[in-house]
Amino acid sequence: MSGLLYISVRKTFGTNVALQSLDLDVRDGELISLLGPSGCGKTTALRIAAGFEFADSGAVTVGGADITRKPAHKRNMGMVFQSYSLFPNLTVGQNVDFGLRTRKINANERKKRVGDMLDLVQLNGMANRYAHQLSGGQQQRVALARALAIRPEVLLLDEPLSALDAKVRLALRDEIRKIQTELGTTTLLVTHDQEEALGIADRVGVMSAGRLEQIAAPSEIYSNPSSAFVARFVGSMNELPATIRGRDAVEVAGLRIASPTAAKWTDGDKVLWLIRPEDLRIVADGEPGLAATVVATTFQGASTVVSLRLDVLDLLVSADLSSSVVAHLAPGQRVSVQFDGTRAVCEAASAPTMVEEPAA
Amino acid sequence: MADINPLVPDLPLRIDPEIGGPPTAPIGGIPPRAGRPASRVGRIGPVAVLVLSGLFFLLPLLALARFALQNVPTIRLGRSTLFDKWSLKGLTRVFSDPHFGPTLTLSLKLALGTVALTLALLLPTAIWVHMRLPRMRAVIEFITVMPYVIPAIALVAGIVVIKPHARWFLNSDYSLIPFYVILALPFTYRSIDAGLRSIDLKTLVDASRSLGAGWGTTLRRALVPNLRTAIISSAFLTTAVVLGEFTIASTLLKNTLPTFQRTFVSVNAQAGYGFNLLALVATTVLFAMLTLVTRKRGSKASRRTDKQDPFQNDAVAFAALSHHQAP
Repeated sequence: MSGLLYISVRKTFGTNVALQSLDLDVRDGELISLLGPSGCGKTTALRIAAGFEFADSGAVTVGGADITRKPAHKRNMGMVFQSYSLFPNLTVGQNVDFGLRTRKINANERKKRVGDMLDLVQLNGMANRYAHQLSGGQQQRVALARALAIRPEVLLLDEPLSALDAKVRLALRDEIRKIQTELGTTTLLVTHDQEEALGIADRVGVMSAGRLEQIAAPSEIYSNPSSAFVARFVGSMNELPATIRGRDAVEVAGLRIASPTAAKWTDGDKVLWLIRPEDLRIVADGEPGLAATVVATTFQGASTVVSLRLDVLDLLVSADLSSSVVAHLAPGQRVSVQFDGTRAVCEAASAPTMVEEPAA
Repeated sequence: MADINPLVPDLPLRIDPEIGGPPTAPIGGIPPRAGRPASRVGRIGPVAVLVLSGLFFLLPLLALARFALQNVPTIRLGRSTLFDKWSLKGLTRVFSDPHFGPTLTLSLKLALGTVALTLALLLPTAIWVHMRLPRMRAVIEFITVMPYVIPAIALVAGIVVIKPHARWFLNSDYSLIPFYVILALPFTYRSIDAGLRSIDLKTLVDASRSLGAGWGTTLRRALVPNLRTAIISSAFLTTAVVLGEFTIASTLLKNTLPTFQRTFVSVNAQAGYGFNLLALVATTVLFAMLTLVTRKRGSKASRRTDKQDPFQNDAVAFAALSHHQAP
């Protein structure tokens, strides 16, 4: 058993609070990704697990054992860094061997493990190369092999893919997940890339300003965000001024829309109503809905993002729809927009963020 | 066209094709240059400067070589005697002086001690500064330059003041080492600093520690091998400073190579200058080697990190070379 547990971990740098009070349970064999904008504390959380930073208060345990004050080199954590971290003076094989040597494992065992690890990351022919002879993706694979060679209790991944180009990133992401599942290593991944976080993790923790806003399965995070911050950060959102109507509906520019999220509010509250682009539907002009003009269409393969200007609110919204459905639309065309409010979220209208154009 | 800022003539002109005429230069391309033909003067200028400054350096050296290597009385050195009685004896006579061996040995020992102490103090300090106090780097760099700005004689004045209280220490020949560490600081610190800047120090340290290495192992296995160039050049530079320092050694009455050199010249001018010439050649060869070593490794490192500054070490070497004054 080697779950990683944060108990009320607080960390400040001077007056800057990096972690307010983090409670997080990475269960044995689980992969959790911490997602958040830069400065939200996710990297601090990871570095506290690695032992590079120490918590001001609270505790960190691995497999039940308290490691809060243990120095980094006495912990058993494998870590892969954002920047290329291979020792440039050592070959690929020697890099993977580094942690085994510091653990004084005997030579035969070390040789075998280095071979196994390089097989695992599919770099078996490259043991004698140096880091500068490898591509970025290969370097990160060696870094992964090096981190796994010591059979860590917890694998810590600090934005390991962000320095790579898109295609390599995707392939390596899947590979990391495959290897992690195969070995059953408890893993904590830190990333600011929502696609990466959602695509790889068992559970995603969304962080903001030193707090864990929500932790849940990727699909849950996406379709049932606990706060407007999570909703905005994961995926994109249209934001419309609305008024709560009854227990289960909102009114947007005179249009009443069923929205279960309204239950948390009281009738008549002014709110900002957040709805995903894929929950919009475009119908012919004159049908029920809000009248709008097509501003632009962006073809993205299977889907097309349609930008629309609502007549009443003079507000831009975007709809993400199957390309075949909206193929006939052209800029300037008059249409009517309908909303499926089942997954929408409300936020107090006083919130300062009134984003004019929805993020693509 | 009135909108175009006349103060920035080199900017590519961006004219919206829908509003104005066709752009006069491809946007983002090479801007049109005011036509200045590559004049001959423009090419001859730098060459002339190079030749003149070369002569300025070389002529005195050639004169020195003639004086040291030609067995002709100074009064008769002229055009007619240009090819008379050349001999290497002027160079080698120093080796038969009984004081040469011991002073050379002492200076080499001092160099070794200075290098060891410098690295032992400086390497951990510089690493610590880079890891924990990156904002202090400029301040520390400024402080380390001070020994170069403040003349050695100021340090000597300080030594004179403390001398009566620290005789037990200053009586030892090796008491020179701490002073030499300070004198060499401008060169050694910058060399180590450049080395540290060329590697991703923080990540390498973190990676090493997460793999179970303590600070000692991290230094030995992850950092020193990647700072080889910087360490070698700082060692060379320290050696150069030690082998050239006269003021402090003379004040403390130590028989180091430079103090011997001074005495030797006054006793036997020709052999003395012969030795100076030899020292100069040796130093030059040493620095040529240093430059070669650092160039080779530097280019390798830059392929790895794209951060190495290949000029840094050469510049430092040159500074040290000019600091190294033959008495």
